[in-house]
Amino acid sequence: MSTFSFAEATAWQCAGCNRPLEPAEVKVTYLNSVFTVELMVCPGCGFVLVPESLAVGKMLEVEQLLEDK
Amino acid sequence: MDTERPIQLLSSTESLCPVCLKRLQAVREQQGDTVFLVKQCSEHGTVRTPIWRGALPFSTWLRPKKPSAPRQAFSAIKDGCPFDCGLCPNHGQHTCTALLEITGRCNLRCPVCFADAGDQAPETDPSLVQIGMWYDRVMAASGPCNIQLSGGEPTMRADLAQIVRLGRDKGFDFIQLNTNGLRLAEQPGLSGELKAAGLASVFLQFDGLSRHTHLALRGRDLRESKELAIRRCVEAGLAVVLVPTLVPGINTHEIGAIIDYGVRFAPTVRGVHFQPISYFGRYPQPPADADRLTLPEVLLLIEAQTDGAVRADHCAPPACEHALCSFHGNFFIDAAGRLTPLGSGRAACCSTGETPAAIPTALEGREKSVRFTARQWSLPMADSACNCAGQPAPPQDDFDRFLARARTHTFTLSAMAFQDVWNLDLERLRGCCIHVVAPDGRLVPFCAYNLTSNQGRPLHRRPVRP
Repeated sequence: MSTFSFAEATAWQCAGCNRPLEPAEVKVTYLNSVFTVELMVCPGCGFVLVPESLAVGKMLEVEQLLEDK
Repeated sequence: MDTERPIQLLSSTESLCPVCLKRLQAVREQQGDTVFLVKQCSEHGTVRTPIWRGALPFSTWLRPKKPSAPRQAFSAIKDGCPFDCGLCPNHGQHTCTALLEITGRCNLRCPVCFADAGDQAPETDPSLVQIGMWYDRVMAASGPCNIQLSGGEPTMRADLAQIVRLGRDKGFDFIQLNTNGLRLAEQPGLSGELKAAGLASVFLQFDGLSRHTHLALRGRDLRESKELAIRRCVEAGLAVVLVPTLVPGINTHEIGAIIDYGVRFAPTVRGVHFQPISYFGRYPQPPADADRLTLPEVLLLIEAQTDGAVRADHCAPPACEHALCSFHGNFFIDAAGRLTPLGSGRAACCSTGETPAAIPTALEGREKSVRFTARQWSLPMADSACNCAGQPAPPQDDFDRFLARARTHTFTLSAMAFQDVWNLDLERLRGCCIHVVAPDGRLVPFCAYNLTSNQGRPLHRRPVRP
């Protein structure tokens, strides 16, 4: 269970649904591993916003540790 | 030979006659669950050597790459593979790891030595100038790659730290020491001195946990020295990879125990790298089939001796060298010391239906492998998620929880099947990425460099001049 949230107020809206994003628990899967984190999500279609800082920070580090040669 | 079961011809390659070292056509053929390399010399007869045995299907163990020639070839094509090594322009893979044999001296007399090391005089050691030239040649041929200082026993040299520093100054970031560990154990300051010079990792000969294994393979009970060497590396902050030479009937029952032992010393011990025995030197009679151990047999022994925690399908053929040369698996050590697989094992790389355009180049696989090996076989950085008071920050989410452990507690299991004159496959040799730097600065694939005829006549290695 995640105890930390990446969800934060954002000006981004879902272009497809034209709705503001809301915080939600998201399962991130990569190479058989599943991570539960809270991110901003479109309540209509489920589209998830991954902040750049997360994508090039912790998420990248996790990817590298999971990847084999 | 089993004459009852049908023989299926799988594919063709080239090899050498074990007696006269003439190049021969060879085929890979399957009978039952064994694949043999078969070749015939018009003068010295037919040789049939098992190269793959067991339930894991040979046909599924694939990892194709498009060959990629050396940046700079130091030899021309004249007599063909494997006689022109240097590397020649027809070589298909760049250097992932370059071996520098910095001494012929050794403080052990192992019956299973690749390098035929012994008690030469210190004056026979290559000079720092010559070693500098070797580093330059590796850089010119292949660019930055991983370096392994080897021998002989490299710790016999008093200037070993200088040799490490020289390599770092030349632009090689990952330098590993291939050692029996005796001097690391005997000299309390040595591991710290080498770490300070820029050494990243110790490739520690480690054949097992029983006295019998040590006596059979090394002639001495080295158990206490090995553990002391590891403890010295813990103190110095040097990574260690345990490297067992596996010999059927001697230590193959100790595979699980060696893995458990390595895990106990994580994160200093970064993994276990198994080397099934290959036969160099004088063997008038070919080694018996029962004296060989193939990669799938090692995988099944790991599976059986880890109570299924590690399965054969957690391990994959290599991205860098030829698929038939090695396997590796990457694991996470949980808080209870159990191994669980990271990544997807074979599912990640063993697709067999690639279009030719989708097959990666050898260079791509080599880049991946250089990076992975340097990261995994080095000691991880201290926890980077620290607060200013010097206390680790508490884990916050699933990524943090995973990173907090996985930054330090990953563990690799791997094996490399070296080739000797009986099972030599020139297709594999052309894909080789482990290159020994010969005294004259040529780069020679490891198996070609150590290869001898059945009378002990070397193909490339020259005796040390007095």
